Amino acid sequence: MRKLFDFPGGVHPAQNKQQSNPGKVLELPLPQRLLVPLSQHIGAPAKPVVKVGEQVQKGQLIAQATGFISASVHAPSSGTISAIDAFPVAHASGLEAMCIELQTDGQDTWHQDIGSADANTLDDQQIRQRMQAAGIAGMGGAGFPSSAKLATDKPIHTLLINGVECEPYITADDTLMQVHSADIIAGANLLLRLLDQAKCIIVIEDNKPQAITVMQQAALEHTDIEILVIPTKYPSGGEKQLIENVTGKQVPKGGIPADLGILCQNVATVKAINDAVYLGQPSIERIVTVTGNGVKQPGNYRIRIGTSVDYVLQQCQAETHANPVILGGPMMGFQLPNTQVPLVKTSNCLIVPDPQELPGKDTSMACIRCGQCEVACPAQLLPQQLYWLAKSDAFDKIEQYNLMDCIECGACAYVCPSQIPLVQHYRYAKGMVRQQAAETRQAEHAKLRFESREQRLLDEVNAKEERRKARAAAAAAAQAAKRAENPGAEDPVAAAKARLAEKKAAEASAPPKKAAEVQVPANHKDLKTAAAIVRTKLKKASKAFADAQAAGHDNTDKLQAMVTELEQRSEAAAKALADFESNMGLDPEAEKLAQVAWAKANAQVRKLTKAAPDESASDTEKSEHQTALTAAQATLDQAKAHLDSIKNPSQEAKS
Amino acid sequence: MMTLFSSPHLHGGNRSQRLMLLVLAAAMPGLLTQIYWFGYGTLFNVVWAILVGLLLEAGVLALRKRPLGFFLKDGSVIVTCLLLALALPPLAPWWLVTVATLFAVLFAKHLYGGLGNNPFNPAMAGYAICLIAFPASMTVWTSPEHYFDLAGQWQWFWQERGNIDAITQATPLDAMKHLQGKTINEMLSANPSVVHYADAMFWVNTAYLAGGLALLALKVFTWHAPGAMLASLGIMAGLFGAGEPDLYASFSDHLFLGATMLAAFFIITDPVTSATSRKGKLIFGAGIGILVYVIRTWGSYPDAFAFAVLLMNLSAPLIDQYSKPKAYGQQP
Repeated sequence: MRKLFDFPGGVHPAQNKQQSNPGKVLELPLPQRLLVPLSQHIGAPAKPVVKVGEQVQKGQLIAQATGFISASVHAPSSGTISAIDAFPVAHASGLEAMCIELQTDGQDTWHQDIGSADANTLDDQQIRQRMQAAGIAGMGGAGFPSSAKLATDKPIHTLLINGVECEPYITADDTLMQVHSADIIAGANLLLRLLDQAKCIIVIEDNKPQAITVMQQAALEHTDIEILVIPTKYPSGGEKQLIENVTGKQVPKGGIPADLGILCQNVATVKAINDAVYLGQPSIERIVTVTGNGVKQPGNYRIRIGTSVDYVLQQCQAETHANPVILGGPMMGFQLPNTQVPLVKTSNCLIVPDPQELPGKDTSMACIRCGQCEVACPAQLLPQQLYWLAKSDAFDKIEQYNLMDCIECGACAYVCPSQIPLVQHYRYAKGMVRQQAAETRQAEHAKLRFESREQRLLDEVNAKEERRKARAAAAAAAQAAKRAENPGAEDPVAAAKARLAEKKAAEASAPPKKAAEVQVPANHKDLKTAAAIVRTKLKKASKAFADAQAAGHDNTDKLQAMVTELEQRSEAAAKALADFESNMGLDPEAEKLAQVAWAKANAQVRKLTKAAPDESASDTEKSEHQTALTAAQATLDQAKAHLDSIKNPSQEAKS
Repeated sequence: MMTLFSSPHLHGGNRSQRLMLLVLAAAMPGLLTQIYWFGYGTLFNVVWAILVGLLLEAGVLALRKRPLGFFLKDGSVIVTCLLLALALPPLAPWWLVTVATLFAVLFAKHLYGGLGNNPFNPAMAGYAICLIAFPASMTVWTSPEHYFDLAGQWQWFWQERGNIDAITQATPLDAMKHLQGKTINEMLSANPSVVHYADAMFWVNTAYLAGGLALLALKVFTWHAPGAMLASLGIMAGLFGAGEPDLYASFSDHLFLGATMLAAFFIITDPVTSATSRKGKLIFGAGIGILVYVIRTWGSYPDAFAFAVLLMNLSAPLIDQYSKPKAYGQQP
């Protein structure tokens, strides 16, 4: 006998399982309309591969999984696709999501590709492919794509199959085990084959004696499959709680069961795996418990994925006017704001309670920190502290109290003597924590982007500087090489220095001349510069004079004299420039025009050079480009010559 | 419009009122034993304190514009007043009970925001303020030998005092502290009334212990705070008493004299003002046990629970900060 461990916390709510008559599967007539959501699993939604108006057969792929963590969606029956659009889905807030609407034709004919196979002839890869193609997502409630779960690269030594079904009222898995025990065992064997070296434990709570007997019978011949009975305690069916219960080990914080060498699958998922591999049937139906005092015909119904909650409740003669409808169990399920929503792969229970059965909570009273919630919490949290922190919006602190480890099982609220809806507070706080984390991430991202832009600009500046230095070095090297070639030539720097010294000596010896006379411009450019310098000096002096006058300084007459002198010099310089220009036949307007012509030609050449055809271009293209480039180059040369001639006519004459 | 409820939709049926009623019921054996040994004074105290407390609670709720019926029926004020009255001396006059209740309900509870928000145990705060303000009246304990008749107690309650000296009595713990050069055994043989008194207190403590164990069995609270308090008080008494048995009150004296069991199971288990995690409750209880021993043995007060509890109430937030349980699956 295997030694059982326990897990922290837990509660013992009334079971209420018998009224749904576990052990018998009831069938419903095929509904006329099926609404199949594209996202019935954790991960990326599937992508539709059919069009509105298209005829589909039962089991045909209608939406393809996108990415690794995703699950494909198949037509639950044959018929016509009538819409691909957003419809309300089963969600506490009445959220809308993309769905494929199917009008059934009543024929319910299988797609021709669906066919059974002998698993003995399939290799492991083919088995995995058949599983993946079937779009199976964890049917216990979480909806994690099974193929992704199985694709772990960590060594698995234990396959835990979860038939615990710890929530009150629900008997879907209980029924499944009683009716399809052989399929579950066959599915388990398939998984064992893929996992290699693993043993399998099928865990069932001791409140399901029939299921235990049937499963033990079915597993009799399989020595590597053990049926393990555990005491009834909610939430022993939670993955982490189940693992601790069976192995005594806690899944590491932030880790997954595979870290302990354990893989968990729900019994319904294992059955679906069996159907996928042996029969080729995708995940298009499941067993749903319909129960509660508001239902006249409670039971476990086999329904097609996409069947409307409304339709099921009508068929079971449920009184939904006065009563709420809960999807899921009474501990973790949520009240549907709208019953016109489809059942999906993870829907395991519908409860329509009468008002006495699950009375709405009394107004909650003050938290007296009695700590009963702490004793009940299976995640070993401090629910009373989380509540205070959530109520005071202390989201930074609440994370230190491991809010995110809360599995929302509801054990705390179940025992709370003050009737506080604790889980609701935690959901709110979790949402806020997630939102804050997203905002922080965005801010970080923006900061990174800004910093990398700054770095890029800096790099550009540095690179420019590097290039400039390289050019300068190359020029110096060229100069040095030139000198080395021609050692007789004088050093230009030394020569310049000598010239300067000579000039100074001449100035010193020569009698002082009037500035205008001294600066005999050698050429046009110098003349222009001289005129500009004098103009600037004049401007400055005028301003200084005006300022001094305004401020009421003495000795403004000196400034006055200076301004007068500069005015004269400026006039002289302007005159000299004009004389020079008229002498040389210079025309500033013509120069401007020439400059523009040159710039245009230059731009044309650069454009053509840039747009050079690459290696793959045809010869004609290449030659055409070459011709254009040559022509542009010629125009540029011409423009350059013209500009030079205008700028410096004497040189032209010389040459 | 249908009202939407968040999960879980099931509730275990536990109610705050149920907890309060259980506490009241569990205190009854102690109350009856106290009446048996010390007279009807305690009963007057209890009834008067609850009356005054309910009136005050209703008044404050009206002032704070809270629904009267809803909050009055939580029963918390009744528990507070009962515990306060049980802690007061049997011969406390009406005005003393009134002042203590007033301080407990108005100051210690409602000025901090009412039930669930008070940092200090209201009963102990009311008790402590009276012990400081009216030390003489707060230490008037009848001897079990001077058993009053109902009429006598009634008169006393309304302040028609008789001969105080004739009926006041040093409590056994007090007598063991002021030995005046004798050993404990010499003191006891010289004062048979102290021995008699100690017997009475033993039975009172036993009654509270029984009620406390019942509450523990009903999971009204966990064993952590009372267990840690009794253990630390016992260890302190054992350590010092074993060394000098003639001078220090013994292990069993400390556990079964004074207000030990009343405090262990009814006072320090007040969830609002204690540390909240189970680990925190261990520290909280142990701290009270040590403080009680220190004040009883070397302090100037005959018993010490009010001060010990209030001091540890003050430390509770800090204890909470450092006694967070390990996260699920966290590696040690």
